Amino acid sequence: MFDNIWFPLSITLWIATISSILVLCSGVVISYIFARYDFRGKELAELLVTIPLVLPPTVIGYLLVILVGKNGFIGHLIYDFFGTGIMFTWQAAVIAAYTVSLPLMVRAAQAAIEAVDKELEYAAYILGRSEIETALLVTLPLAKKGIFAGLILSFARAVGEFGATLMLAGNIPGKTNTMSTSIYSAFQSGNNEFAQTLVLILIFISLMAISLTGRFIGKLEA
Amino acid sequence: MSVKVELKKQYNEADTSKTKDTKKSFILDVSFEMENELVVLFGPSGSGKTTLFKCISGITELDDGKIIVGNKIYFDKNKKINLPIQKRNLGYVFQNYTLFPHMNVKKNIECGLKGWGKESRKERVLEMLSLLHIEELESRYPSQLSGGQKQRVALARALAPKPEILLLDEPFSALDMEIRTELAEKIKNLQTKIGIPLLFITHSLEEALQLADKILVLYEGEAQQFGTPEEIFYHPNNLHVAELVGISNIFDDAYVKEWDEESKSTVLKSGDLSLRIKTQRFKSGDKVSWGIHPENITILLPDSLSENQSDNTYSARIISIVNKGPKKRITLKLVRYNKTLTAEVPGQFVDALKLTVGDLCLAKLEMTKVVAFCDL
Repeated sequence: MFDNIWFPLSITLWIATISSILVLCSGVVISYIFARYDFRGKELAELLVTIPLVLPPTVIGYLLVILVGKNGFIGHLIYDFFGTGIMFTWQAAVIAAYTVSLPLMVRAAQAAIEAVDKELEYAAYILGRSEIETALLVTLPLAKKGIFAGLILSFARAVGEFGATLMLAGNIPGKTNTMSTSIYSAFQSGNNEFAQTLVLILIFISLMAISLTGRFIGKLEA
Repeated sequence: MSVKVELKKQYNEADTSKTKDTKKSFILDVSFEMENELVVLFGPSGSGKTTLFKCISGITELDDGKIIVGNKIYFDKNKKINLPIQKRNLGYVFQNYTLFPHMNVKKNIECGLKGWGKESRKERVLEMLSLLHIEELESRYPSQLSGGQKQRVALARALAPKPEILLLDEPFSALDMEIRTELAEKIKNLQTKIGIPLLFITHSLEEALQLADKILVLYEGEAQQFGTPEEIFYHPNNLHVAELVGISNIFDDAYVKEWDEESKSTVLKSGDLSLRIKTQRFKSGDKVSWGIHPENITILLPDSLSENQSDNTYSARIISIVNKGPKKRITLKLVRYNKTLTAEVPGQFVDALKLTVGDLCLAKLEMTKVVAFCDL
């Protein structure tokens, strides 16, 4: 039983962690650009990043398969480069998790960055600081609450990701059977006890995430 | 260090609470030159003072003109030069100080010392802290500082990188009256000490007169007058400046009658009233406006003297007396002319003479203090 739980739990946390790191790095850059720049096609870019929030996960999964599948534009490049596809691997699950959790990060971080007084940035420029230095020294530290909140929400979303993961990474035992997909298959095969254990663990992780968000934000405010 | 500014910039009022029609929109059009001195930008809110600062600092790009500080060209439209903000090396204290809330005082000051060695940075911070007498605040955060302290920290931070010019945007607006006067004195001393050009924004006349070597008066984006506090206060060159320096008795119905060699004064005719002023700027026939500061009208009892036009002394009746703290504001109606004047006199004086509403008195308009200017 423990062995059965261990793999889905560890692969899920692994996927969520890698996805969250990617979400953090790219999300902060994207949020900063959205918050501070106006450019042609900005609305379209914002739409593209945010739309996974409202699209059904199966639709996202389908679109991702088209994109990173063997014949997809990105999938083709990956195949040429590595000599193997990434469909039905944990990396595919990371892509699915990343896509659905990025908008949560961008929405939270963008709002937080927009709330930073632009005059503080000008003050730093006047003191001789470049834009990147100013972002690192002033803007992002002042927006950290929003960024943390976005990060935790993204992590929680990645942990619970199901639909897109199933389509992109499948549910291969010992390879891509995450918590969510394991619950589904356990339930399907009538293994209710196992499903319940996994459900409880997921509920626990989600509660942790929520209370962590509250605590972090509380602490940062103090 | 000399500073040369010639700029043109379309100004649109930022206040979003107003509807489009009531928003101010004009061309900011200002030229001036200054040396190592303290120049006060004086004008009502929405006259473009802060926009001027934003242009000088590079936050806003000008439409046309040039800005030169010392031997550095900040901006020159013709030469297509627009120095990035970071390279301008100026000190700017924003109206709300813009201290970085997540850094303590030391870190705030250090922020401008990019590229300095560790030792010299430490030294410079200590130097700035002692210059502004805020040594004890080194490790505090902005939220733990009072308004006056924040202002000093902001100054220390602005001065630390040895700027070539210092811009202060209404640095006292958030402070108590008492601290204001004290800090104004300090800022004036500081400017002499560091010896760089200092531009100071205010809409308080008192502050402008107290601080300035020169005052630049702005009204709706246009420079109205540039001169010493005395020049601005006693010789406003148009109606806007006159109103801004508190001249409430303004009459626009006068013309120049003649120059009187004997009394060395110019005789004005304002309606029936004839009036003498101590200036030779005008020619006979010029249409002018004249006015006088309320505190430069002297009230005399009628038995001590009689009406005497060659001395600007007229009989008047008191219409109202209003308390204004230590002073009283008296409204006077000239008996023989259709003119009403407002005078401000010390309260004790009114009590001593037992002046009451309806009394007859003499109003003397000090010849040297009457201001006159050509109409706009």
